[in-house]
Amino acid sequence: MNYSMIKVLIVKDWYLQRWMVLASLLGGLIALGIVCVGGNAAFMLGLVLLITALIAVGAQLAIATMVNERKEQTLPFVMSLPISYREYTTAKLLGTLLIFMLPWLTLVMGVVALFAVPHGVPHGLLPFTAIMATEILVGTCFIVSIALVTESQGWTVAAIMVGNVGLNVVGYFVAHITGIAKGMNGSTVSWSPAATALLLSEFTAIALLLTLTFFLQSRKRDFL
Amino acid sequence: MKNLTVQFEGVSKKYPHFSLDNIDLELPTGSIMGFIGANGAGKSTTIRILMGLVHQDSGTVNVLGHSMPAKQAAAKLEIGFVSEDMRLYAAATVGWHMKFIRSIYPRWDQPYAEKLLQRFDLKAQQKVKGLSHGQRVKAALLLALARRPRLLVLDEPTTGLDPIARHEVLGELMAVLADEDRTILFSSHNTQDVEQMSDVITFIDRGKIINSDDKEIFLDRWRRLRLVLPQDTALPLLPGVIDVGGSNRLPVLTTNRFEPAMVSICQDLGVTVNAVDTMTLEEIFVANVQCRRETQTV
Repeated sequence: MNYSMIKVLIVKDWYLQRWMVLASLLGGLIALGIVCVGGNAAFMLGLVLLITALIAVGAQLAIATMVNERKEQTLPFVMSLPISYREYTTAKLLGTLLIFMLPWLTLVMGVVALFAVPHGVPHGLLPFTAIMATEILVGTCFIVSIALVTESQGWTVAAIMVGNVGLNVVGYFVAHITGIAKGMNGSTVSWSPAATALLLSEFTAIALLLTLTFFLQSRKRDFL
Repeated sequence: MKNLTVQFEGVSKKYPHFSLDNIDLELPTGSIMGFIGANGAGKSTTIRILMGLVHQDSGTVNVLGHSMPAKQAAAKLEIGFVSEDMRLYAAATVGWHMKFIRSIYPRWDQPYAEKLLQRFDLKAQQKVKGLSHGQRVKAALLLALARRPRLLVLDEPTTGLDPIARHEVLGELMAVLADEDRTILFSSHNTQDVEQMSDVITFIDRGKIINSDDKEIFLDRWRRLRLVLPQDTALPLLPGVIDVGGSNRLPVLTTNRFEPAMVSICQDLGVTVNAVDTMTLEEIFVANVQCRRETQTV
């Protein structure tokens, strides 16, 4: 594996997407600011904006770095470089997720910081927040995997819709799991076995998605 | 033994509606091969297999001593590739692309790149989205040439260019290549472009290589003989005749093994040779394709 070429491709994607990522990050920070204003309405508005910013940046990254690479015919340029398709797959998966991690980690840390604010979010919401933040990461991995394997705008848009609906469905069910729902409004953090199991299953889903993507990519015989 | 930069042996690739069939191709080091075929003949598929971007179903491909597609990364380090369907990043500048390629290729020649920038009338700070199609092709050529590749692969680089831009690109490319000693594969359906640049010509049609030889051999051996046959005289049996056109009395013979002695053979048989026409590469290509297709039909 040529790691220096993988690094070059990741830096290239970062350079080309940096303004979009930074704009999303700014949007997310503004959303966090709205949450800080206090009150139920501001909390809900800020939360919706925050989730929207994270979903949007993940979707946009997948489209811009993978679908558009084929659509805008820059794929022949990239594939003419001294890389194998395995290295290309690694660079795309790793690069897109690393770039996504910048706004994701920053905003998740921002949300966690809100728990420290005295009049902020009830501490009991922390497990639910962690599960939902990781679910956004799972959704992004799903979108990125579909985008990379299909290189199709249609399939990627479908994956974005599935990811979005999935987030809402997961949110609804997680909020109704007894072990989690019980402590959500409490003033202390209560990690139930259900919350731990859910978090673990999300990380397993990420590992499975990435492995499946590598497997499907390795079976491809035509790259242009 | 010939030193080969590219060698295809029995390469096949099957698609639902197209097959590349048992391709044998040799590109000697230092030569410029014109790869001619109609649209959909299999030029781009062959080139993609050469680049390791499409995996052949059977056969072996060796490029610069590397087995393809397994060793494509090592091979591509020494290849400059420009194709008609290749685009640069619209939002980035020409200068950014130069820096990007320089960070990858250890043989990148910065003074040469700057010379090409001037020669191609490009500016490093120009964004790709602001360039005309001709300028984009020139920028892609600059990026391919300045990495000092041992093999340059040009897949229809002049397609889609207006006549002025095409003339400019070819002119610049020929000027750039005039003092170079590198191996080049240049594919096009435009025979005029290929004729200007190449010293070896390969014709491909419907997924098969139908002819491959030195350009001069093609131009020397292919002729059209315009004859006048006296009444009740049979057409003389001449070597290499692949097509007989015209009328019974005024036949036009196309031969691929012309010798000046043919004229005297005809005259000895009482046949008047009105003219011996040289053929352009386009006419040779068309005659080759028609001959093969007719043979296939029969």
